[in-house]
Amino acid sequence: MKFSELWRLSSIMYKEISFQSIFSLRAGGALPRRGKDDVRTLISNAEVSTILSKLITTLFIAFFGFVVFLPLMAGTSSSYPTRELTAVGSVSTFLAVVLFLISFMGLQVSTSFVSSKAIDVLTPLSLSKSDISHIVFLCFIRIFDIPLAASAMVLLLAYYFIGGSFLGGLAAFAGIIVTEAFALMLTVGLARFFYSRVAGGGGKSRWKTLLRFVFMLVWILPSFGIYFVVNFAGQIAQSFTSLTQGFSSILQLLVLIYPFSYGYLVSFATFSFQASYLTVALSVAACSGYFALAAYCVKWVTRTVGRIGAGGISTALREVVKDTVVSPQVPWLGTIRKDLRIASRSPSYASLFLLPAIEAAVLAMSFSSFNEVGLSSTLGLLTGMSVVVLMLPPTLVSIEGLAASYTRSLPLKKKTLISAKTLLSTLTYAISLVVLFVVALYVGRSYFYILTFGAIHLFSVAAATMLELIILTNKFWKEGFAIGNIYVRLSTYILIIIPGLAVVMIPIIAALATFLLAQSLTLAVFLGLAVTEFAVATAYVALEK
Amino acid sequence: MQEVAVQVEGLVVNYGPFVAVDNLSFTVNSGEIYGLLGPNGAGKTSTLKVLVGVLEARAGKIEVFNMPISQEVAAKSQIGYVPEEVVLLDSLTPREFLEFIASIRKLEASAANSRLEKLVSAFELKQFFDTPIAALSMGNKQKVAVIAALLHEPRLLVLDEPLIGLDARSSKILKELVTFHAKRGGAVIFSTHIMEVAEKLCDRVGIINKGKIVGEGTVNELRKLVKSAEGSLEDIFLKVTEQEAGMQDTIRALEEEEKQP
Repeated sequence: MKFSELWRLSSIMYKEISFQSIFSLRAGGALPRRGKDDVRTLISNAEVSTILSKLITTLFIAFFGFVVFLPLMAGTSSSYPTRELTAVGSVSTFLAVVLFLISFMGLQVSTSFVSSKAIDVLTPLSLSKSDISHIVFLCFIRIFDIPLAASAMVLLLAYYFIGGSFLGGLAAFAGIIVTEAFALMLTVGLARFFYSRVAGGGGKSRWKTLLRFVFMLVWILPSFGIYFVVNFAGQIAQSFTSLTQGFSSILQLLVLIYPFSYGYLVSFATFSFQASYLTVALSVAACSGYFALAAYCVKWVTRTVGRIGAGGISTALREVVKDTVVSPQVPWLGTIRKDLRIASRSPSYASLFLLPAIEAAVLAMSFSSFNEVGLSSTLGLLTGMSVVVLMLPPTLVSIEGLAASYTRSLPLKKKTLISAKTLLSTLTYAISLVVLFVVALYVGRSYFYILTFGAIHLFSVAAATMLELIILTNKFWKEGFAIGNIYVRLSTYILIIIPGLAVVMIPIIAALATFLLAQSLTLAVFLGLAVTEFAVATAYVALEK
Repeated sequence: MQEVAVQVEGLVVNYGPFVAVDNLSFTVNSGEIYGLLGPNGAGKTSTLKVLVGVLEARAGKIEVFNMPISQEVAAKSQIGYVPEEVVLLDSLTPREFLEFIASIRKLEASAANSRLEKLVSAFELKQFFDTPIAALSMGNKQKVAVIAALLHEPRLLVLDEPLIGLDARSSKILKELVTFHAKRGGAVIFSTHIMEVAEKLCDRVGIINKGKIVGEGTVNELRKLVKSAEGSLEDIFLKVTEQEAGMQDTIRALEEEEKQP
């Protein structure tokens, strides 16, 4: 079959996989609304979302490329050693970050690719096995097309602007190709591992649950790492350069390690500085070795991706079932258990549960720069943490859409649903408060404000999540929590945070104002307002059927 | 006199401008298996979805055991539902899913486990009990849905194409269970495309076409309706849904095409 035809067919498969990545893994499978316009909107949302995700990755890469090569473009400063070492650091940093960004930002859609049933439709068609493999591989390449092209372009452009040579350009190009091959292998390997061991693996034992939690952490933490990479781009580049400088005495060893081998080779080919033949020879040998490894990676990716097309991958082995005993709980507890179980198998849901605690830990790091964790800093921290918690209710409601065409038939009361999800959101906030408290204790800062104001603010956060849930359930209860309904109205998903934010901010603003006017009344005002909000919201929920 | 289990009057369901169910009315009594038949897109699933509270009707009155469907929790507590598209919580295992169902339905642990053990054994699902639903075959997913529908011993069973994907043994067991349920005074609404099953299993059938009931009654009553003394339910169905006309011509045309070299 002609390449153009294979490419065209891969585009159809790619659209389906993008759709599944948005509505199967992230948001759930069921799209029970049958209106044509709804489905069309969902499809276009999925396409836009996929393109946006690619563009964001590309922007990160471009931004990072600009930051790491800036010292070389502007000339070296006192904080950087020599332009030769700076070039080694810049190229190595860029390659490392591209590896990280492509592999982890493409993870969700790759997992969808690995688990996709879309490819099954190709098998019965009159296509040869090799054509199917080619279509599947091209489809996989489409997932990364823009970031892969952008990475190569950014590196070559940056290299051109620093006045690079032809040989150096060739070495840089080889470096980025190798990096991209490594990134593709990493992302396919991780996605396959995730699908077979976490998403596809069940299990009743506590050990399996713990294992899933650990997998999930390993899965999620790099996603947060991406934001650190962007925030600390300059420092990372400088650290790589310093590392290069620090190890210059054992340069012969460093040039053997990826990505420094390419950094060194590019630098040598650009500036032709004095270096021992042995070091250059080692660098060339290491780069050739990595190139060969990259060729193997591409082969592995092609084979693995082709195998996925030929029949998918097997999920975890079935374990021996000893009994069929279940432990029914009261409905609200049953709902919480169900939500937690689903979240423990979906990175996007789990990340929202973990985000407040991780944010609290990151914010708590700033304690070292405070003399005292006073009222204003505590209230600032509480504001930041509660905003993140307010993102939970819409997500928790969207979990209800996962099997809405079935679960809507269950006799679940609206107030039970609201109570369960409020409790879960408030508990998430409480855990992040505990993190803050522990860090304050550890760094020896006063924890009085965190303990008192944090504990009281729980009432306010509970009221805010109740308000969000009341609005959301009133909006979607009748028509169903179908993901289609919620995702079609992205504005609902985002704007819902505004009333919640107002509720959590009222006691905070009032406390700050009281602190300026009548300091002794601060705690009383804060407590009074938070408890009142909670009481009003609880009473409203209690009246729901 | 038999208690009315389901009363549907003037039901209208629409998706935007498309009217899926148009002024539909029917009644199902306790102890009765009522078959809801119709061609694809006739409005069967929409009707059943409204009945179990999954879909909102534009107009009409629905009562389950004399309770308006608007009394959501009370009405839904009486119903066991097997949907046409088995979309369950795929990341959960059958054990976790059924535990969630038992929690929402407030079932006692001992009663739930005793019934669960029997149902799991009857449908041979034990070996898949800790496998994620996503990894199950369509038939096994269907079994999970059927067990979930039967777990709380509902008074009304609403089964939308429940035999799809089930193996012969499970189909037989489900049909027996449905018959037993009706004999004990429960009511069943059963949607299927398999006319032989409907003919054998259902006490009465309602044939729905383009959102309207076009024929209702026992098979014998329907025979009278189409003025055919011996026709099978399939023949009756094709007649009242006006699908018979032109069907033979279509088959002949296809056969002619096959004959051509």
